[in-house]
Amino acid sequence: MSLEEPAPRDIGVTEDGLDYDALAELVEDNLLGREEHLNAEGFVIRPDEVQDTLETLKTEAGFDHCSCVTAQEYEDRYESIYHLKKYDDPTQELSVVVPTDKNDPTSESANAVYRTADWHEREAYDLVGIEYDDHPDLRRILLPETWQGHPMGLDYDQDKPQVATLAEHANPLADTHEEAESDTMFVNIGPHHPATHGVLHLKTTVDGETVADVEPDIGYLHRCEEQMAQNGTYRHQIMPYPDRWDYISAGLLNEWAYARAAEDLADIEVPEYAQVIRTMGAELCRIAAHMLALGTFALDVYGDFTAIFMYAMRDREKAQNVLEDLTGQRMMFNYFRLGGVVWDLPEPREEFFEKTRDFIDDLPGALEEYHDLLTTNEIFQARTVGTGHLDPETAKSYGATGPVARGSGIDVDLRRDDPYGYYDELDWDVVTEDGCDNYSRVLVRMQEVEESAKIIEQCVDLLEDWPEDERTIQANVPRTLKPDPDTEVYRSVEGAKGELGIYIRADGTDKPARFKIRSPCFSNLQTLPEMAEGEYIADMIAALGSLDIVLGEVDR
Amino acid sequence: MIEPVVAQTPLLPERIADLLGIDGLFGVVVGGFLGAFLIGNIMLAMTGVAGPWAKRKITAKFTDRIAVDRVGPFGLFIIVADAVRLLSKELVVPENVDRPAWDLAPMIVPLSALLGFAVIPMGSGLHLADPEVGLAYVFGVAGLASVGLVMAGYSSANKYSMLGGLRALAQNIAYEIPLVITGASVVIFTGTLQMGEIVAAQQEALVTLGGVTIPSWFAFVNPFAFVLFVVANVAEVGRNPFDTPEAPTEIVAGYQTEYSSVYFVLIYLGEFLHIFLGGAIIATLFLGGPAGPGPAALGFVWFVVKIWAVFLFTQWLRSAIPRVRIDQLIEIGWKGMLVLSFANLVLTAIIVGVIST
Repeated sequence: MSLEEPAPRDIGVTEDGLDYDALAELVEDNLLGREEHLNAEGFVIRPDEVQDTLETLKTEAGFDHCSCVTAQEYEDRYESIYHLKKYDDPTQELSVVVPTDKNDPTSESANAVYRTADWHEREAYDLVGIEYDDHPDLRRILLPETWQGHPMGLDYDQDKPQVATLAEHANPLADTHEEAESDTMFVNIGPHHPATHGVLHLKTTVDGETVADVEPDIGYLHRCEEQMAQNGTYRHQIMPYPDRWDYISAGLLNEWAYARAAEDLADIEVPEYAQVIRTMGAELCRIAAHMLALGTFALDVYGDFTAIFMYAMRDREKAQNVLEDLTGQRMMFNYFRLGGVVWDLPEPREEFFEKTRDFIDDLPGALEEYHDLLTTNEIFQARTVGTGHLDPETAKSYGATGPVARGSGIDVDLRRDDPYGYYDELDWDVVTEDGCDNYSRVLVRMQEVEESAKIIEQCVDLLEDWPEDERTIQANVPRTLKPDPDTEVYRSVEGAKGELGIYIRADGTDKPARFKIRSPCFSNLQTLPEMAEGEYIADMIAALGSLDIVLGEVDR
Repeated sequence: MIEPVVAQTPLLPERIADLLGIDGLFGVVVGGFLGAFLIGNIMLAMTGVAGPWAKRKITAKFTDRIAVDRVGPFGLFIIVADAVRLLSKELVVPENVDRPAWDLAPMIVPLSALLGFAVIPMGSGLHLADPEVGLAYVFGVAGLASVGLVMAGYSSANKYSMLGGLRALAQNIAYEIPLVITGASVVIFTGTLQMGEIVAAQQEALVTLGGVTIPSWFAFVNPFAFVLFVVANVAEVGRNPFDTPEAPTEIVAGYQTEYSSVYFVLIYLGEFLHIFLGGAIIATLFLGGPAGPGPAALGFVWFVVKIWAVFLFTQWLRSAIPRVRIDQLIEIGWKGMLVLSFANLVLTAIIVGVIST
């Protein structure tokens, strides 16, 4: 049996991009129609054949990455869009559109094909109201169980008070889950707990010191970010929100996700000079974000506020100072604009360059110190090597991206694979580690800091020599943006935590009709049970730390 | 065998009784009571300085911070501010706690440490009692703390406390044995459990190198035992890398999760007292007790310096060393420390036997 030829996984791949006709032929039995999205073609398929279609596309056409599931309601139908990609080449994209009836919005679940669909479909059910057959656990995920209605549906009344009886409001953590015959103990880790990095609730069943079962419960920091973005105008009102998704100083990376999607939607060309500034700012943010990830991971493994945490904060502070000079803000930057950035580098430019260079020059010494204290420490290695194991196939199935995927040896980085900004002009490498464990994920982040430093250094050189009369920081963008009705786009960038994607559907007004955020943390967090079950409590905490989630981005 | 040396200085209760001019049983009782009061207060005062102030300052230095510097010179008055803050907080008693076990536990922890100081010769005449079983007594009362920790963990009706209590118990059992066995290897040298004798046995010179006389402190005589003992002691007091019973990022605060206000202070006081008691035992067994350059009256100063050095060492570990996992901790205890401590004991016995014959 093992000698059997593996099924071809590259149907539809040609030298000038994807051949959608060949792909359509592959799934023609289930195909209802085809539509154009700006990033890829959309295949409209029968709602009762979702599994079959996706399975075919995954095994025969090689779409192994279900990046996001967008759900939305139209006047006449509901729609779920599965944004498919390939880990090997994320520019090969395909949207699978599943329309469902207005009166009975039920389609088949994709969970059997892509494990990541579990949470994405729960979110679609929670916020939009689409139901999925064969879903293992179709419950609300962001809103409380007692919520009435689906807030992103068209007929949802935002002013109607939510009425829940007192009994339903009873403490959801009160149940002790005690059973007379059981050898295990149920522990609520969080929502308030020193190691959950915010308000995350882990429903954990422990057998002695071993984790028998863990189920993350999210939604404590849900702030309706998608809804707020849909209420804002493209030009200025949306940009401040991305800063608040991954608020751990990764603001510019998030802003870029929105900027990239909206610029594609409205066909805006960004001047090269602004792209260089964006690239530099984004990498400064990445360093700051990774420093915090490193520091808090050390906190999870070491215990109290130890040296490594403070050292990481010290170096993050330097990155923040540079960012403050650049943007005027320390965390909520709001520095990008559609078509460029809001203002040029601060005057005097020499001083800014010098400060940035000082920071970059000091970095290798600082990293050396981290390696001394952290990665070469034998106890640290005993704690992290081989724990929190996440094999590449599982990681892919859960849609893991960013350092989590790269720590499992998956060579994926949107900055290189789907170039934007100025990255393809610069000299840097994508870091991967094959350990698939907590240690690898830490190493990936530490090396990525070095790579980011390389990028910043090159950007500073470029900016210093940029001719004075070519310093255009913004393209000409109309005062009011009204993209053509029914244009749809899904675009993603490499955020600090992984693939940060934005789906926008325009309806001809100056506000998006649907604004969907694909958060890398949301997908990465789904892998926690895979990593933690069967390991010790301490290893689960370390695994959680190594995922580097920010609850603001998980819950949005 | 080293000849037993009779303690030259009388013990503290006798001196107090002499000073007050009372003799007989009444004098012993009054002297003992006042002496205990004095020693207890010295240790509590030291803990008071260590907990709210020194610990912060020391870890701040290690971790690139400044720490308390607003109240008083060097921020020293934070001790007063913290005392007022902690004592004026509400004592929250959770619904299902098992009283009186829950109330007794925070008292047992500091009590067991304070009892230990009774037999420690602190120099400058500060020595409450010198029974023949001194060393066995001090290990015994210090071990009582485990009872307190398990009571706290079990009676709190909190799963984190429960896990913490179990961890504390497993850890204390695993490291108590190497600790005692290593302590016993010192007894082989001295031939007595009496603390005064153990200190006296370390007063002679070991070697003289270029005019510098190295005393025969057991840390120099048997450095291997010293290292073993210090490691086991760190586990006993539950500091990094062995702070698994509290492990804030895993089980919140372990057995002390549900304690607030005065009870919290008592448990913390107990922990710091145990660090100092650990330091006192290390100083007595391995570092010559109150011995040091200068007149014998300075003994207490040297003693304090030694126990603070041990305290500083635990804080250093806390700032720089990761925590081991519970299974690794148990493994190190049973498979590593136990074997090494027995090897040390046997070797010491053989060497001492060979020398004395």
